[in-house]
Amino acid sequence: MTTIESQTTSHLLDQHILADFIQHAGEIEHPREMIIDVLRAIQLHHGWVPDDGVELTAAILGLTPVEVEEIATFYDKIFRRPVGRFVIHLCDSVCCWTRGADEIAAHLQKTLNIEFGQTTADGLFTLLPSCCLGCCGIAPAVMIKQQFYGPLTPEKVDELIATLRQEGSA
Amino acid sequence: MLTLTIDNQTISIPAGKTILEAAEALGIMVPHFCYHKELGAVGSCRMCAVTVHTGPMPGVKMACLIAVEDGMVVTTGDETVATFRERVGEWLMLNHPHDCPVCDEGGECQLQEMTISSGHGIRRYQGGKGTYTNQDLGPFIAQEMNRCIQCYRCARTYKDYCGGRDFGVMGSRNRVFFGRFKDGMLESDFSGNLVDLCPTGVFTDRTFRFKSRAWDLEQADSVCPQCGVGCATIPGGRLRELQRVRSGDNPLVNTTFICDRGRFGSGYANHPERPRQARQEDQVVSVPAALTALETQIRATVKQHGPEAVLLVGSDRASLETNWLLQRTAKHFGCRVPVLNAHRQRHQTAQMAAFDLSERLASLQDIRSSDLVLVCGVDPLAEAPLLALALRQAVRKGGRVVLYDPRPVELPCDADRVAVSPLALQELLADGGVEGRHLRDLLSQAKNPMIVAGADLLGLAGLQNIQKWAEKTSNKERPCLVYPVLAGPNSFGTALLSLPEQDDLLTRLASGKVKMLVCVDADPLLEAPEGERFAAALTRLEQLVVLDYLPTSLSRHANLFIPTCPPVEDSGTFINNEGRLRRFQRVLKPGLSLARTAPGEHPPREFSLDTPGSDPQPAVLLLQRLIGQEQPLTEVHRQLVLEQPRLAALVSLKAGEAGVRVAPAVARPHSLDPLPEQPAQTLELVVTPARYGGDLFSRYAPKLEPRKRPPCFYLHPDELQAHGLKDGDAAVVETDFGSFTLPVRSQPDMALGCVLVENSEAFPQLIPGAGLGYCVISAGGANE
Ligand code: SF4
Ligand code: SF4
Ligand code: FES
Ligand code: FES
Repeated sequence: MTTIESQTTSHLLDQHILADFIQHAGEIEHPREMIIDVLRAIQLHHGWVPDDGVELTAAILGLTPVEVEEIATFYDKIFRRPVGRFVIHLCDSVCCWTRGADEIAAHLQKTLNIEFGQTTADGLFTLLPSCCLGCCGIAPAVMIKQQFYGPLTPEKVDELIATLRQEGSA
Repeated sequence: MLTLTIDNQTISIPAGKTILEAAEALGIMVPHFCYHKELGAVGSCRMCAVTVHTGPMPGVKMACLIAVEDGMVVTTGDETVATFRERVGEWLMLNHPHDCPVCDEGGECQLQEMTISSGHGIRRYQGGKGTYTNQDLGPFIAQEMNRCIQCYRCARTYKDYCGGRDFGVMGSRNRVFFGRFKDGMLESDFSGNLVDLCPTGVFTDRTFRFKSRAWDLEQADSVCPQCGVGCATIPGGRLRELQRVRSGDNPLVNTTFICDRGRFGSGYANHPERPRQARQEDQVVSVPAALTALETQIRATVKQHGPEAVLLVGSDRASLETNWLLQRTAKHFGCRVPVLNAHRQRHQTAQMAAFDLSERLASLQDIRSSDLVLVCGVDPLAEAPLLALALRQAVRKGGRVVLYDPRPVELPCDADRVAVSPLALQELLADGGVEGRHLRDLLSQAKNPMIVAGADLLGLAGLQNIQKWAEKTSNKERPCLVYPVLAGPNSFGTALLSLPEQDDLLTRLASGKVKMLVCVDADPLLEAPEGERFAAALTRLEQLVVLDYLPTSLSRHANLFIPTCPPVEDSGTFINNEGRLRRFQRVLKPGLSLARTAPGEHPPREFSLDTPGSDPQPAVLLLQRLIGQEQPLTEVHRQLVLEQPRLAALVSLKAGEAGVRVAPAVARPHSLDPLPEQPAQTLELVVTPARYGGDLFSRYAPKLEPRKRPPCFYLHPDELQAHGLKDGDAAVVETDFGSFTLPVRSQPDMALGCVLVENSEAFPQLIPGAGLGYCVISAGGANE
């Protein structure tokens, strides 16, 4: 079984979860299929996945770091750089676009004073484009912390931001 | 056979081929990127569009993906697809920088060629281009990601074909990046293939960067001399400098891949210490004067002391022609037959391959399509790198590799690996009880079984048993083939030429009758075991004559020295492990490179009619002059074939061709000697060539330095503990060939009961292939 030093990994994963992953990886035929699970656990614990998070995942699963990095960088919901407390995934796919997502995008950028891919100076918000979130029925939509919000108008966006700001300062 | 029409031409082609391949066979070039004949098609670039006019779904199709059908009608140049391809070309060029003038790929770039052939010429896109930050991938490969067109060939080469695991595809959409997790030297021993396979200038040969334009290079079809696989290469040189080596194409041997040792290991040709002048004692002499002196000395010595007094020595790195001319030379002067390989055991095992196994030899192509390969006593990455790739292809197609070896053999593919000591392996092959029977059953049941046999580790007895196994497990439907792994590029040819009953070098030297030794492209000190005995014998000689192109210590000690040429400066023939005649053609003429005569400055202002450093001559030519019979190579071949009818193919052989096998010989009868007992309290000694620096050529290849490892003794951790040693300690190992002090390293993947050491320039004392050996290890001694 893989042995991993706990003092160098405690900022990435809870030690019980780490032990579980190691055990599970030893039991299944293709540990590679756990890449996303481990990366998400690290992201939950640490906020994002730093380089040593990729290396830890590789060590747990018996892979090379680049084999994990290929997956980590493919998905835009795995963060390989620090993000704000609330990551706003704004849908840029077709249904949302026909229902005015461009206007929402412009409004969000103006309100938060950041561009896509950036984080507000107070560390509260990161704005990211996303492909279809699967909630086309409430287009135009955003996803924040796995919650969907829509159909959005500039007013509703203002309300949402205000609520989140409050939550953030609490 | 299916018959179809492409651009009004009809062709019959086997089922399973694609439209692209059919068109190619007709000489119609359909532009393409992502398709490569060894990597296959993935249909990602959309460049190979053609129109299919027949079938239920006519229209624009990707030629690389669509299998040919009977009666199919295809056009490749109609307006629809011509426009389609032009658009694809334009789209692939969107982000591409316009930096061909400073790009090393320029002049041999598929993107340049395909863009032009697609018809895209004028840029319409005015937007910004995607840009990337490049990585430092080490001393061999330069990366320039902005030039990438996302054909995925690099990933398919590095990961899929070669099995490398430190390179990958990152990101998605228009942000795809091909590289490593972090900066650092690419780890695969086949990393250089990125250079050949990337169709643009993303991955270029860093050791060759900014040296020459492809069209300025002198290039020729050659054969890599750095192991017995005999890969097709195309070395390129300019200004008297061998600047790079790239892969040739031999579908039966290496396909379009070579290893990094062969690609980056060519520095010996321009080595600063390469001897370039003839020398008699301490005097520089002209080559003709040296040859006259040599002739006089040989005649006088034979006259005074008899035919035994002059001993000529060839080698397994000298060409077939050179070795044959040595035999000629001996006859001419009335000397006894030459010793063509100073390494007795290697010579015997090579003769096993050249005679007894010759009717059942496997090629690398056979191995690539085998369903069961039993690998015995071979570390492919050290002894025959391209064999490792062939094994990987067998596994990728669903085949199985079973490997028995004492070393911690790494393979770029899955294998059932069993670590056994050399003696245990001999016992297994001698009969092997249940395990032996099980393995023979596996071979018998396989559809296409192959045995890969390491001559160095198995020795004569092991190979004889392998021959028996192969006979027993062959049946009427199919043979069980054998791929012998021999030491040198021409071990097979050297063995085929020499007479079986000859005494070995040391026996002949020990007789005391030898007064004059003439070594041609050979250094028994470095290439044969018992160097000490050889060195002692040297002191009893009256004359040591060396003809060589490597700066070995033997060439420095010679009473008479005459410089020769390496294969890149010569034309000739090697016979590779699989008994295939491989012709190489001269790439460059010998001479001191301009980079050395005028380092970074204006060329020298002294004028002379001769090229500096151009004295070296091919050994074949020197020997011909020595015996006064200068003939073209074709005449040499004609005479050689008269003596050796098995080599009939020699006459029509051309460089760049796949090469023909030598005709098989009848296997000779053998008697098997019983296995020797292991002396009590000893460990088995395993000497293996280092991956880099194991072959003589890569010792004189400065580019390979970053891959070389310091010498040490490897032991299994249990064995270390049993001997009271720990990783990093200095230890003394006493062997039959002397005692040596080196650090020990723990190696859990190797066999118990063994001490493993790598032969390289840093540890040249022990030579692989000397037979079963034993040693005693103890702590102590200071680290060397
Ligand atoms: S780096 Fe070269 S081989 Fe790899 S995808 Fe880009 S163009 Fe193709
Ligand atoms: S496998 Fe052998 S012959 Fe082929 S390139 Fe490598 S060293 Fe040369
Ligand atoms: S298109 Fe926006 S959620 Fe589906
Ligand atoms: S070569 Fe056919 S799609 Fe690329």
